Amino acid sequence: MEEREVAGLRCSAVLELLSDYLDGELAPEARAGVEAHVAGCNVCERFGARFAAAVQTLRKLPAPAGQEGAADRLKARLGSR
Amino acid sequence: MSREEEQRLIARVVAGEPAATRELLESYQGAVYAFALRLAGDAALAEDIQQETFLSALRGASSFRAEGSLKGWLLTIARREALAQLRRRHDTPTEPESLESLGVSAGWGAGSPEDTMDEREQQQQMERALGLLSPPDREVLLLRDIEGLSGEETAAALGLPLAAMKSRLHRARLRLVAALRGDTTEDPHGRA
Ligand SMILES: [Zn+2]
Repeated sequence: MEEREVAGLRCSAVLELLSDYLDGELAPEARAGVEAHVAGCNVCERFGARFAAAVQTLRKLPAPAGQEGAADRLKARLGSR
Repeated sequence: MSREEEQRLIARVVAGEPAATRELLESYQGAVYAFALRLAGDAALAEDIQQETFLSALRGASSFRAEGSLKGWLLTIARREALAQLRRRHDTPTEPESLESLGVSAGWGAGSPEDTMDEREQQQQMERALGLLSPPDREVLLLRDIEGLSGEETAAALGLPLAAMKSRLHRARLRLVAALRGDTTEDPHGRA
């Protein structure tokens, strides 16, 4: 992995900040720094997009199917305490 | 449910009101089950964990404190139950790894993944990838990203300081991307 310095940030520094960036936990200057780096670095743009897409899919994962039986048995067990 | 509504619901559960217990179940049994299933990886085990969680929650309802959400409290109990069940199995501890090498495994500096999957296939692939992670990686992703607890609540559920939870979350996400990558064809030239 060839490290570049773009907009005053190295790629490894951006890698470290990706989660805080996605979670909205960066201060405005740090946020702007990440955005400026990503705008000028195709490696980080590509990886940032992949990382964000994965977290997005994870956050929108539907509930597992087939819980009805478990729900009935839960109710029965709690009802007979 | 607002924090006040949650507090009122729990007060009614403590008072022994059957309708309140039903409401508690209906609101949270799905989240507890989904969390338990993904953490334990087994439907029968998930069902046990779900039952033990609610039995324990009903016994200890008077100990619920409104600083956290009801969901966070229930998932904290569910995690404890799940770990008690999983402890019997062998956990291989993950080797400490630099963030850079985690990034490289996750495709940092590599080409773009072929993006030909529909939403359903992506979700199935995600479930598979989650299943490949170690339980500590999996649980932080389940609590924070899937169940949507706040950073503070996730840290509390895991018994970790906030900074340690965030570091684990970031590494777990990178390992997840690496697991997804192992499951996808890649365009070596990238498509940036
Ligand atoms: Zn970069």
